[in-house]
Amino acid sequence: MIAALFNHRTRGFRTINILAFAVLVVIALVVNLAKAYAGREVREIARTERKINEEGKRIRLLKAEVAHLEQPERLQRLAKTVLGMGPLSPMREGDINSLPAVAAGQTPTGPVPTPTPVSDTALEEVSAVPVVADLNDAPAVPGPSETGQ
Amino acid sequence: MTVSNLSPHRYPRIVRWAVDWLWRVEHAFERAKASGRPEDDARIRILLVLAFFAVLFGLIAGGAVFSAAFSGAGKHHGVMSLPATAKADLVDRNGELLAVNLVHYSLFLDPADVWNRSETRKALLSRTPGLKASKFNEVMDGRKRRVLVEGLTPDVRQSIHELGLPGVTFEESPRRIYPMGPLAAHLIGFADPWGKGIQGAERGLQEQLRDGYVSNEPVVLSIDVRVQAALEEELAGAVAEFHPKAAVGLITNIHTGEIIAMASLPEFDPNRASKYSEDERKNRASAQLFEMGSTFKAFTVAIGLDTGVAGMDSTYDARTPLKMGYRTIHDYHGTKRILTLGEVFNHSSNIGTAKLALGIGVDRLKSYYDALGLTRRPRLELFETASPLTPRDWNDDALASVSFGHGINVTPLALAQAMGCLLNGGTMVPLTILKRPMGYQGEAQRVVSEDTSRAMLRIMRGNVVEGTGRKADAIGLSVGGKTGTGEKYDPAIKAYSNTRQVASFAAVFPTDGPLETPRYFVLILLDEPTGGARTGGLVAAPAVGRVIDRSARFLGVPRQMQRPEFDIAAVRGRPAL
Repeated sequence: MIAALFNHRTRGFRTINILAFAVLVVIALVVNLAKAYAGREVREIARTERKINEEGKRIRLLKAEVAHLEQPERLQRLAKTVLGMGPLSPMREGDINSLPAVAAGQTPTGPVPTPTPVSDTALEEVSAVPVVADLNDAPAVPGPSETGQ
Repeated sequence: MTVSNLSPHRYPRIVRWAVDWLWRVEHAFERAKASGRPEDDARIRILLVLAFFAVLFGLIAGGAVFSAAFSGAGKHHGVMSLPATAKADLVDRNGELLAVNLVHYSLFLDPADVWNRSETRKALLSRTPGLKASKFNEVMDGRKRRVLVEGLTPDVRQSIHELGLPGVTFEESPRRIYPMGPLAAHLIGFADPWGKGIQGAERGLQEQLRDGYVSNEPVVLSIDVRVQAALEEELAGAVAEFHPKAAVGLITNIHTGEIIAMASLPEFDPNRASKYSEDERKNRASAQLFEMGSTFKAFTVAIGLDTGVAGMDSTYDARTPLKMGYRTIHDYHGTKRILTLGEVFNHSSNIGTAKLALGIGVDRLKSYYDALGLTRRPRLELFETASPLTPRDWNDDALASVSFGHGINVTPLALAQAMGCLLNGGTMVPLTILKRPMGYQGEAQRVVSEDTSRAMLRIMRGNVVEGTGRKADAIGLSVGGKTGTGEKYDPAIKAYSNTRQVASFAAVFPTDGPLETPRYFVLILLDEPTGGARTGGLVAAPAVGRVIDRSARFLGVPRQMQRPEFDIAAVRGRPAL
């Protein structure tokens, strides 16, 4: 049976050879088509990656612009000039529990504790500075005057 | 008989074996023919060729496996060598962008390829911001391809590219951009056009920035831009009022060592760093030494308490100046009475502090200074940090001076680190410009006891309640602190000047609660303030109070209006009669 398969001839050519050649041509064709298709896919992937890269660069640029526009000093200036806003007074700060008091028209926080009385002599800003005494005995480079405050 | 058999004793065994094997191979064909088996001849030849190629490919395969597995190639995720400009973004602790690499484009013009000069000029001038006709003419009049304009954004580049102008080409040029401009410029630093870090985090964190580029992760700094902005604005306000030569502001987390804000004036814009002088670019918080003055009294008092030399009820006679050899130590606020330890601190008595230091002794005081990091350069990621200037001879004279902050020069960073140690429970936590992970617990060396730390928090609060630091108080935030006014050495008169001073205020908030309570250190320093007021209590303390007022909410420190009343009597002490 197998010997017949190898010995059978068509128009003088071994049929098995003709079949093998046909299979070879089909395989070559399929490989070629697959390669062409894969090439298209690779180009598409490369194009998409390039696009992602470009978009990534644009996003970074936009992020930098946002950061530039969100400079705290700029926001504060705009809030002040455009919206008329200003720093919040400590007396107007409150938490969630103080909302009922705010709704009732009261100050959101409790009273500020009375400052501890301060003696008048505690903070005297003296302009005249006593310096090192007995300068005749001082070294060539005198030491600092003891003015620490 | 083989070749090796000819001289069995002259060569080692392995050599003889190899020669023998070669001899056999060489004569295999002859043997095959001689034995009448010519097919063996062909087989042997095939075998040899196969063996040769097997060895060859084996070596190639082995080399490939070695390169892939052990050579370190691909360590950077397939990027064999990174360009110098490859740097990760820098962000603040909340993710706000501080430094970023952006691709810009340089437009090149080749006069030889330009067909229509006037049309090209018209098109380029209309679409290229900042391009002048004179520059276009200059490039066109030349013979070579030259840069016409740099720093084009992708949008502008695309709009010009779409014109399809002959002779116009583009090249990518990555640039380091600092979107916040001058904000925190001294801490962030800057890099040169080739990507090399020159100053600040850009220089100190080069490794981290490179690793971050590879892993596509930003490097997170410890600073908070909101707090930084508040600090810079208040510092600028103080500068506008007192016109100092320079100013420094610093806020640190005393438990983690994180630098939350760092400002140095004059400021500069890192996007145009080359336009500024070296003096303007100098980070005075880390690279300039100051004689801090009375803020150092906090160290002396803490050491006195920690060694047991002093207690809250200890007394010091400040009725008369202290004579030490050639010199006499006076008090700035002359009380002319006997003071308790708390009063020595609150009235900033030089006499009392010097007497306390003499009681502590040179050896003990110096060993504490060493442990507090006041005698060495702070270990920090920043490159530009200065080493302190300490007394050459640690004698009693130096001891007295150092006790109230003279005769020793340190950077504001070193002061902040040492103060943090006194106030965080007594352990040395190194400062950092990198954000610490949540719940960070570093290995910290104990310097003073927890009791000493608690006492210092109380004493510093007392100084704000009724001492020289009253102007730093902020409602409901329990601020504590110490003023400092140090005179500067004037080379012109070869002596210390009583008109050129360094005024500072070192604060901590909040001072109440357990030792583990989140706490922050704030320092504002003005170098040579002018005008009538030049003391830390008048110049720096008000700015510190405003900074704390504005920053507390960002730092998560609650403002408590109903704090228990501060026991000032405990700080004043009860001197034995």
